[in-house]
Amino acid sequence: MSAFAAIGKSARRVEGREKVTGTATYVADVHPRGAACARLVLSPYAHARIKSVELSAALQVPGVIAAFSGKDIGGAEILAIDEVYFAGEAVAVVVGETEAAAEDGADAVQVDYEPLPVVSDPIAAMKPDSPLTRAAQGESHDDAGAHGAAVGGAGTGRPKPRNVNQMVEFQRGDLAKGFAEADVVLEDTYRVARVHQGYMETQGSVAERAPGGGFTVWTTTQAAFGARDETAKFLGIPAHEVNVIPTQVGGGFGGKFVLVEPLAAALARRVRRPVRVILDRTQDFLVSHPAPGAVIRMKMGAKKDGTLTALEAELVFDAGCAPGAPTGIAALLLGGTYRCPNLDIVGYEVLTHKVSPGAYRAPGAPQAYYALESHMSRLADQLGLDPIEFRLKNAAKEGDIRPDGRPWPRIGLIECLEAARAHPMWRDRKKLGADEGVGVAVGGWGGGTEPATGGCRVNPDGSLTVQVGSVDITGVNTTFALIAAEVFGLPVEQVQIATNDTDHAPYAGASGGSKTTYTVGAAVLAAAQEARSQVIEMAADRLEAAPSDLDIADGRVFVKGAPNRGVTIGELARLANRFGSRYKPLHGQGRAAVHTASPGFAVQLCQTKVDRGSGMPRITGYVAVQDVGRALNPAEVIGQIRGGAVQGIGRALFEAMEHDEGGQLANATLADYTMPTAADIPDIEVVLIEVPSELGPFGAKGVGEPPAVPGAAAVVNAVEAAVGVRVKNVPIKPEVILDALEEGGKR
Amino acid sequence: MAKEKTIRVKVNGSERRATVEVRRNLADFLREDLELTGTHLGCEHGVCGACTVLVDGEAVRSCLMLAVQAEGHEVTTVEGLTTPDGEPGPLQQAFWDNHGMQCGFCTPGMICATAALLRENPHPTAEQIRERLSGNLCRCTGYQDIIASVLAAAAEDK
Ligand code: FES
Ligand code: FES
Repeated sequence: MSAFAAIGKSARRVEGREKVTGTATYVADVHPRGAACARLVLSPYAHARIKSVELSAALQVPGVIAAFSGKDIGGAEILAIDEVYFAGEAVAVVVGETEAAAEDGADAVQVDYEPLPVVSDPIAAMKPDSPLTRAAQGESHDDAGAHGAAVGGAGTGRPKPRNVNQMVEFQRGDLAKGFAEADVVLEDTYRVARVHQGYMETQGSVAERAPGGGFTVWTTTQAAFGARDETAKFLGIPAHEVNVIPTQVGGGFGGKFVLVEPLAAALARRVRRPVRVILDRTQDFLVSHPAPGAVIRMKMGAKKDGTLTALEAELVFDAGCAPGAPTGIAALLLGGTYRCPNLDIVGYEVLTHKVSPGAYRAPGAPQAYYALESHMSRLADQLGLDPIEFRLKNAAKEGDIRPDGRPWPRIGLIECLEAARAHPMWRDRKKLGADEGVGVAVGGWGGGTEPATGGCRVNPDGSLTVQVGSVDITGVNTTFALIAAEVFGLPVEQVQIATNDTDHAPYAGASGGSKTTYTVGAAVLAAAQEARSQVIEMAADRLEAAPSDLDIADGRVFVKGAPNRGVTIGELARLANRFGSRYKPLHGQGRAAVHTASPGFAVQLCQTKVDRGSGMPRITGYVAVQDVGRALNPAEVIGQIRGGAVQGIGRALFEAMEHDEGGQLANATLADYTMPTAADIPDIEVVLIEVPSELGPFGAKGVGEPPAVPGAAAVVNAVEAAVGVRVKNVPIKPEVILDALEEGGKR
Repeated sequence: MAKEKTIRVKVNGSERRATVEVRRNLADFLREDLELTGTHLGCEHGVCGACTVLVDGEAVRSCLMLAVQAEGHEVTTVEGLTTPDGEPGPLQQAFWDNHGMQCGFCTPGMICATAALLRENPHPTAEQIRERLSGNLCRCTGYQDIIASVLAAAAEDK
């Protein structure tokens, strides 16, 4: 492809000015005149019958305006009515003049509960004598559609254990024969903790009645249209009567779709005032939807030469109290990354008394790859093979069949592995000192799709305004500006991005699933191309030239070979925006429904030194290799990859939502839920691989999710390389390493 | 009812007088009473650093300080670090130019913490920056571009 004017050159954030000067508006900054504040009352029990909710004391608190139980507000989706299914489920809400009044009011609400039996651990929940969770019923609203992976798989008549909502099964070949052919068979079980997205801005929404009827909702969401639809549905009004104004999103990572929007609007309706529902950190930890924990049993067989012969896996995902765990996605990735003729994978989505999980950066993939990549490195060890060579020997490529029968499109897994193999960190790993080692792990993501529209208006000053309905969470607006700038050959500063509210925006799906650039970007590209054709057509008329003889550069349309004959884009727009003009306004619209995903792969190398005193691994170096198709804005792509890698490292070293047997979350503060700080993380070298997608704009693939996938396995594989201790459960407990070292787990 | 007190604080160069509840923290005072919403709240617990502001030039977590404790002191928020006409100041410019933010939620706290750091140590090493900013959480960037922004700001300021 020829050189690009704008694409591939790092551009700083279009919205950077507001973010660095403190003028960006996040949801907690929205204060409509006369706004009241709401505070949730949360259940202390993980499972209980609500006998009564007594609000009168709360209503006596000075400054309290109103208080509602679930029954009053009507809708168990936002406030429990008869029964609570997790500790932290909201049972009532108090509205006050101030945050403090609402909080005092919430403390005064008296709820009478009858505690019921609790099961918190998914393995215990599958036992025949376990307490029953919420009846395992209803179809799963797996995020697979949004995230672009299939679920399902044919049933084989395996019994469905207690509290299992959904099972997925994938089979191929003859498992017993596969294991019989193997020279080495390895079986083990891995556990991955439930973790939180950890966005720095907690969730919240502000709602008010709109003057013309309906409601206006400001919210921190990745999915403005989704939030609109859910809010309208809850209120029982048509979708067009809700206008969602997406604010800046202080981090989402999959965690911010719809949460308190319907409640905020319902309260604004009841108290006839604007209402702010801003969660504090502890409430956010308790009521939002984190990433599920998983227990994964793996059994794999391979021949001496490294050929995989059989893969058996049993995945147990802890879905909390409602369906939605990404079991199918996990099973597909786990069984599809390496070629293996004989497969048997079963996934169980188990209900327990915890909040139901939502999406978090590549839902299901970090769990699956943690188990798979731990196992792959151990198998390589037992076979006496280099871990990267072993992976390369089996790595899937275009045309290989995934567990659900679909072939892989062109993917960059092999290119990523080769780049990791060539990296000095890998080549020189044997030269490291005592207690230091390098681990490798792969991670992948199927990539999502969703239709989208975009607009591109040509302005009288010669600039472009791109209109979208998607929310910018990690720099996509800047990428859209680059795309439009590229089409027109304009500097990126000449493009403004308008993220519109749902009353005004062209439709776009959620910003999630690593698909915003891939799909909304495609719509923006089409819109800019259409606007460009309009500009050319109008210029042809003005210059009395054939459109094919015209070109655009530096904001001017001119006749090829006669650059003096030209007209600026601004002049054309002025003419088209004039009273009595015979030209139509210059405004391109683009629509896209890319429905074939472009999967992305990442390979990460972790170098770690284990401290023999504390057992704690310290990350001393890190390399993140990723196939991004094409890096439209390299600086931001690299930044997003680093951020993802650090989330993976967080899973390895620190992060776990700790529930006790009674289902209580023990660490619902940022002091107790530890996330990586600047001092825990070394510089991360990013290696970009560009295997262009045929469908993404300029070859781009989704970038956001793959880098968050390999981290946990890369770290534990590095620990084994450093001190010979195999960690099976993440986050790593340093005591586990210490004990193993004491028991002679030396090299 | 909660007790109130009248305080005088210099905020971003202007003398402010206000009557506040004694239990009101500095962050809420800045955000709600003065409408300086650039100061963000990520935990209200002293852990995340998003609420960092400068009090007499020192980095302070405004969620942990009471508004009444600021009486007689000079408070600078991220809004106070712009140029006099409201354009990004040098530190802010360095964060913008060096991709030192993604979602931007941690950014005001990072910038204020950096201002305090560079005041004490105008030319820190990357390692010193990592150590000093370890009380400011960022979930998006993996920190590296933030460190680069601080280094760039320090290099500007010869
Ligand atoms: S809000 Fe003050 S430290 Fe987190
Ligand atoms: S940029 Fe999002 S938390 Fe730092």
